[in-house]
Amino acid sequence: MNAVLAVKQYVSKMIEDSGPGMKVLLMDRETENVEFLIQELRRPKYSIYFIYFSNVISKSDVKSLAEADEQEVVAEVQEFYGDYIAVNPHVFSLNLLGCCQGRSWDPAQLSRTTQGLTALLLSLKKCPMIRYQLSSESAKRLAECVKQVITKEYELFDFRRTEVPPLLLILDRSDDAITPLLNQWTYQAMVHELLGINNNRIDLSRVPGISKDLREVVLSAENDEFYANNMYLNFAEIGSNIKNLMEDFQRRKPKEQQKLESIADMKAFVENYPQFKKMSGTVSKHVTVVGELSRLVGERNLLEVSEVEQELACQNDHSSALQNVRRLLQNPKVTEFDAARLVMLYALHYERHSSNSLPGLMTDLKNRGVSEKYRKLVSAVVEYGGKRVRGSDLFSPKDAVAITKQFLKGLKGVENVYTQHQPLLQETLDQLIKGKLKDSQYPYLGPNTLRDRPQDIIVFIIGGATYEEALTVYNLNRTNPGVRIILGGTTIHNTKSFLEEVTASGFRGRSTESSQVMPRSSSRR
Amino acid sequence: MPGFLSESREGRCRSRAARAPSLPGGRAPCCRAAAEVGERALSASGRAAMASGCPPPFGDPGEMREGFLCPLCLKDLQSFYQLQSHYEEEHSSEDRDVKGQLKNLVQKAKRAKKKLLKREGDDRADSGSQERYESFSYGGVDPYMWEPQEVGAMRSHLSDFKKHRAARIDHYVVEVNKLIIRLEKLTSFDRANTESAKIRAIEKSVVPWVSDQDVPFCPDCGNKFSIRNRRHHCRLCGSIMCKKCMELVSLPLASKLTSASKEALGSHTSPNSSPNSVHGSRRGSISSISSVSSVLDEKDDDRIRCCRHCKDTLLKREQQIDEKEYTPEIVKLYEKLRLCMEKVDQKAPEYIRMAESLNAGETTYNLEHANDLRVEIQKVYEFIDALSKKILSLGLHEDPQPHPKTLQLQRMIRYSATLFVQEKLLGLMSLPTKDQYEELKKRRLHMVALETHGKQEEKQKDFISRSAAAVNGDAIHLKKGTVRKSEGWLPTSSISRESEIADPLLQQIDNITSFIKQAKAANRIDEVHMLQENLRQLQDEYDQQQTLKAIELSKKQAEEEEMQREELQVLREKEWEREHHKFMSRHSRTCSLDFREVKQHQHEVAKENRNLTAQALDLDITQIKRDPSFETPAVEQLPAKEHLTFTLKPQNVPQCDKDQTACLNPFEDEADTPQLEEDPANPFAKDTSPMVSFSNTALQSNKKAYNPFENEEEEEQSNGAPGSTSNPFEEDENPFQKPAGSWNSGNPFEEGSSTNPFEVEDGNDISGEEAIEEELLLQQIDNIKAYIFDAKHSGRMDEVEVLTENLKELKRTLAKQKEKSSC
Repeated sequence: MNAVLAVKQYVSKMIEDSGPGMKVLLMDRETENVEFLIQELRRPKYSIYFIYFSNVISKSDVKSLAEADEQEVVAEVQEFYGDYIAVNPHVFSLNLLGCCQGRSWDPAQLSRTTQGLTALLLSLKKCPMIRYQLSSESAKRLAECVKQVITKEYELFDFRRTEVPPLLLILDRSDDAITPLLNQWTYQAMVHELLGINNNRIDLSRVPGISKDLREVVLSAENDEFYANNMYLNFAEIGSNIKNLMEDFQRRKPKEQQKLESIADMKAFVENYPQFKKMSGTVSKHVTVVGELSRLVGERNLLEVSEVEQELACQNDHSSALQNVRRLLQNPKVTEFDAARLVMLYALHYERHSSNSLPGLMTDLKNRGVSEKYRKLVSAVVEYGGKRVRGSDLFSPKDAVAITKQFLKGLKGVENVYTQHQPLLQETLDQLIKGKLKDSQYPYLGPNTLRDRPQDIIVFIIGGATYEEALTVYNLNRTNPGVRIILGGTTIHNTKSFLEEVTASGFRGRSTESSQVMPRSSSRR
Repeated sequence: MPGFLSESREGRCRSRAARAPSLPGGRAPCCRAAAEVGERALSASGRAAMASGCPPPFGDPGEMREGFLCPLCLKDLQSFYQLQSHYEEEHSSEDRDVKGQLKNLVQKAKRAKKKLLKREGDDRADSGSQERYESFSYGGVDPYMWEPQEVGAMRSHLSDFKKHRAARIDHYVVEVNKLIIRLEKLTSFDRANTESAKIRAIEKSVVPWVSDQDVPFCPDCGNKFSIRNRRHHCRLCGSIMCKKCMELVSLPLASKLTSASKEALGSHTSPNSSPNSVHGSRRGSISSISSVSSVLDEKDDDRIRCCRHCKDTLLKREQQIDEKEYTPEIVKLYEKLRLCMEKVDQKAPEYIRMAESLNAGETTYNLEHANDLRVEIQKVYEFIDALSKKILSLGLHEDPQPHPKTLQLQRMIRYSATLFVQEKLLGLMSLPTKDQYEELKKRRLHMVALETHGKQEEKQKDFISRSAAAVNGDAIHLKKGTVRKSEGWLPTSSISRESEIADPLLQQIDNITSFIKQAKAANRIDEVHMLQENLRQLQDEYDQQQTLKAIELSKKQAEEEEMQREELQVLREKEWEREHHKFMSRHSRTCSLDFREVKQHQHEVAKENRNLTAQALDLDITQIKRDPSFETPAVEQLPAKEHLTFTLKPQNVPQCDKDQTACLNPFEDEADTPQLEEDPANPFAKDTSPMVSFSNTALQSNKKAYNPFENEEEEEQSNGAPGSTSNPFEEDENPFQKPAGSWNSGNPFEEGSSTNPFEVEDGNDISGEEAIEEELLLQQIDNIKAYIFDAKHSGRMDEVEVLTENLKELKRTLAKQKEKSSC
């Protein structure tokens, strides 16, 4: 159930198969690529080819390839199902933005998503039962498509049966539009929210005074111990950890420079040097990243903003929330992006509130000079994830247990005001693990239902997951023995990419001013 | 940190092992494997290697334990976290200890004890693996610690692929072959000088033409055929097309395809030019449209009409042929480069050896020759340089610049070549000039003269033992002989370089001798002395080693000889019976050989006894040699040394001869060995046998009864003997020898005098050999003198007596022989 490991194993298998030399060809299975490959094989540049497709390819493609290989240079044709991006061991993504048009799938994206999801299942050797979110049409479509592939390629999915079959749960982002709109305070999520992680790389070129070799840094838990240990810790903890790291580093540094007198010292130095060097790289990287994060936090007044965001997301006190939002909208330090975000949260939460003062807030935004793009997005987000489309209730828990829980929580007080929000996914999965998830809301596809508690769960969120949810899943994995959960999404969102997603899905929002065609959100990465 | 890491690693393996049973059929092999994997991973983590990787020390080899076991005490802890805390509490102090290899053992024992006590608890835990999950307090697992999983699903399309490909290729090959066979038929006759009608008939016979009526339209372009738009037949497949769709195959192309050999390459027009020719022919045909006779129109001397399809197939085939033959320029150059590098690798060491020796003033190698070699090597270097430069500049001047990767490759080749040249060229030391060389030689001789006194004896020993060690090294042996002769001195350094592999001690000795040489050159006398002292010790050590070896070898040799003799006797008896009545002229050499053989049989028993005593003597000598007090004063040693050097000199000659003459004999090495050993280590050991034979030799006046030859021919004989069963020629080769032998052996004493006609014959026949034998006798005499001295030295007076007796006999023989050769 480790997505990263699965991909790694594929790659090492490939390397092992082909022996030394550069001969491996890993292909997406798109027709275009097959065409190119046919061209290549007709006039081969190398003497031997190992062809690995990252997904199922059709028999006819194999045939046309075989017929092109008149020089008999192909030594291997295989399908390795690594057709997804493994972000963390329990998180994968397909890097698809704007997968839906309105409420329904873009056909191309649907087939791509189906491929990615089935590839994941195959790479993990899971033939799951499928549940989907009833309120989402696209979830149902995807579930059906996956089922179809499983049926079609039943030979491939013929794995050793486990006692409790794995479960694939397909959700829709629109059910929880709040989570991607919140500011994050754990390391990984925060970096993504404020700087943006793109395939484990972060672009620091906009950081003032950045040195040249730090313009783009790689954050990979596989190679970076500090990151692996701290990616789920919150900002305050990271601060102290990075202090420790620095101290550790500095303690080492002079020590090694001082005593290089004896041969033994030199030997020790040489032995430790690579480690030292690596450490110095790690230190400078993380210091830069954390420094930039704290600069942004201060500059954008994010602590205050986040406090209000959390209040909007987790509490039900309308008047206080409105008051806080209004106060922040007046604050010049708050960026238009954050201002719009606050209004979006307000709009989502108090959409149907009796004393909804959204129009007033919109006027405030306009007065503040927030661009029309963001103002329109407010209504677009509401359209995307408003109460009308939500299958479950984000804000007001219905059942008695949840109410008591929240009540108790209120009594206890919150530990950390910035991280009090728990994504909807937490509750959903919690119920799922306990076997309490309602069939009426999340029906099974097909007649079979799971009687036992699920052990291996694959959650897929159409419209993209978030790192906050990744953290949630991580914690669930750690707290629930015998349960392994993998989270996937068409992409991993931060607020910006989520808003892009909303725009790309065709929710333009009702513009109060004109009906001019809005440009596709300019990506300011 | 490392502590934590390995900790977590164990945790992971453990968790896997623990989880396995929860799968259906949990005790199936797969979970066994999981446990094993876990254990292997453990052993990788070093400290835990002994935890469960090794079988339980109290003899329960099959036991496989699962669960969160503590790697040290093998206690089963219910969860990973419990294990971790347990480990931290209980074993954190032990942790450091465990690193020590020694302590491992102690702990293993400790663990074994603990394990015995823990056994009951484990069983319980194993049975309750299912409930274990319920008992977790906080047992979730970090996704990073999820157990290793098997490689994901994969599906191979290779067989499918191959099937399709094979079908395709089969089809293609059949088609191509068909076309080429037809093409061959079409071009096999002289087209230019054959009537068109006849050509047509032949063409029609190759492939049946599709009848005109069947094809009203051109199948390619769909135009209707008419008088103006005539039908044309493909000569290769018989199909019909119009003029426009027709293709032509030029004869050179055809011949290239049919022969598919290189000679066609030159005359053949490249595929680029073939469209032109087609074009030209088309234009030509336009002009002949008015012509009524289509036969005339179709008369093409050097082209064969064909359809587009056939032409494509042929062109493809041609391309394949081209590609097969084509090697890129860079590959050719690189291959040359590699060749040159190999040459350097071969020659450079040789040159270095020469240069070293010459610089040391030795005369082993010729200065001019070394100079030649140097020039040669330098030329190769230049060639390498030039080649790599050529590779570097490949394609640089072409219009479309080569791919950057190609350029990079070229640069890297150049770089590696430069490195190679630099590295190797530095290793090439310079040679002395002629004058310098003379100077060096003189200086060396001088030094040698100075040092000979002190060193010669040691070197002598060293040389002897070394030659004994070089059991299989005939070539070395040869060289040593020649070197000794030419210089009258023992050049240890040059020789021992050859036998470097033989012994680390030898290497050391060699090193020290070269040091001495250097020190001498630098005139640092006290250093020289010190070094010589070292050398002496080393050589003593080495001598002892060699003596031991030699004893072993001689024992072995004696056994072998015995066996061979037995075989021989059996064979000889048979032979004798069979050939008893035949009389034939005899070959002198074999005759004498037979004498000896007979003798040997007679004295076999005696010899055996002698061998035994010889071994005993051996031991005596070695004991003495091992004795540290053996360091005898130089005065006493000197005469001995002189003896030894003297005796050794002639001895080398016959040995060389042997090497040359009898090199086909596989037993030759063995024949050599005793010879070699005999001198240094145990002079008496081998000598006994010649002694015995000598006594007889004297009676029979057989001059050839000399030990080395005897041994050798004995071996030869035994070689022939087993061969006689399978190879009749081997037997027939010496038919004279046997009767002669039997003849002589019948009455050995009667014919012992010099009046024996055969003997005379012998003498005449082998006058060449005789000289050597005389020499051998002399040598033997010398040897015995040396032995006598040695024996005297060690105070074995009875041996001295025997030896002197022998010596006398030998001398008598020699005198007789001289007499014989003179008359």
